[in-house]
Amino acid sequence: MAAAAGTDQAPRADLPLADATEIRRAMEYYAERDWTDGLPVVPVTESYLAEFLAQTRRDPDEVVLSMPHLNRQCTVRLAAINAALAGCRPEYFPVVLAAWDSLRAEGYAGRAIWQSTTGTAPFLLVNGPVRRRIGMNAAGNVFGSGFRANATIGRAIRLTAINTFGLRPHQLDQATQGTPAKCTACVAENEEESPWPPLHADHGLDPSDSAVTAMIIRSCLHIEARHTTVPEQLALDLAGTISRTGALIHETTSALVVLGPEHARLFGHAGWGKADLSRFIYDHAVRTRAELAAVGKDAIARQTRWRVPADHPDAVPDRAEAEGNRDDDVRVLNSPGAVLVAVAGANNAGVSAVIETFGPRGGPPAVVRVEDERGTT
Amino acid sequence: MADGILLERAGVPAVSICTDSFVIPARAMAKVYGFPGYEFVTVPHPLASLDQAQLEELAAGVLPAMLRILGPES
Repeated sequence: MAAAAGTDQAPRADLPLADATEIRRAMEYYAERDWTDGLPVVPVTESYLAEFLAQTRRDPDEVVLSMPHLNRQCTVRLAAINAALAGCRPEYFPVVLAAWDSLRAEGYAGRAIWQSTTGTAPFLLVNGPVRRRIGMNAAGNVFGSGFRANATIGRAIRLTAINTFGLRPHQLDQATQGTPAKCTACVAENEEESPWPPLHADHGLDPSDSAVTAMIIRSCLHIEARHTTVPEQLALDLAGTISRTGALIHETTSALVVLGPEHARLFGHAGWGKADLSRFIYDHAVRTRAELAAVGKDAIARQTRWRVPADHPDAVPDRAEAEGNRDDDVRVLNSPGAVLVAVAGANNAGVSAVIETFGPRGGPPAVVRVEDERGTT
Repeated sequence: MADGILLERAGVPAVSICTDSFVIPARAMAKVYGFPGYEFVTVPHPLASLDQAQLEELAAGVLPAMLRILGPES
């Protein structure tokens, strides 16, 4: 027995040999410099960085996002350093780069939104074969933890915001509360259990392409509806959630509806396409003028177009009232395109989510193709 | 903060005002713009929910500080 115990205690040949003190020293080095979101980061060396840069044909000095008001830019190289810090594997890097391209195309990230008190977060939706190639989760616990690619790709964006753009909380990041999505928010669409084409195919890409669609989000709201097989009832539940008055900082709002597969199939079996659902929600996401007046949001401010009480000195009529619909229901969406629909989660319950987005309302989403192994886009 | 600094650099006298909740980010922004000692006026938080009379009272209260930073000749 003594001999056996001695064998157990001997170092195993397949374990990496490393000095734990040195590892901790490296981790503390990063923490002491605030090069972190609060969690430990992965130390990055030039040779490890080179593995990331080898995943793209893009010049390391190419700028992926500028924040002119801060006179700061993120280059491919800086994006790679932060992806490595975040714990990404090198093969995730093309997805990270596509995320930056999408954020640049979406527009809000370059215009100080990440310094706002609103406290928005980037949200990444990934489509196509890259999901499986790098082990992304599109099914159970899709907004939760447990999957390295999801966790670290989203974190790579946050660490870049902190380390490259200097957006640290209590300093240049002035978020009043923020959202848990600021730590990481990256999900894959559950294309395999969706009754519809994937989101990137709705916007001109081939289903065999991989793509990232970045959005700026405020919150992620849970919809529990296990009781119905009537598509109108479920769609009204979604519309009711989207039209909550607390979301109405601006005249209208916008949303990404992430249906669990069970809910998606309910609509699919009833013959609804994604556009039908968006149109139905657009028509039914309304508040009465009295409901808006009760919370002091029945008019809009002349300059900012934010909702204010009708007796506010800067108040002007909102669009519905300007069009002569003073006493009618007021739409909280400006077009059916203000509601995007995707499918994610496990096919095990009637659960969906409304992601409240901040930015383009009805414009096309910023769907960006992921560079493939050959370095082409 | 950035607007005030950019106006000053363009030769337009300006004073930045922020509520006391934003002093740290205001200083950080001034540092980003290469003006770490930039002087600005603070007012109590909150501001957005004040009515006209409260705003006028607040403006009157900070006027001396603004004039001091502007530095008028008389």
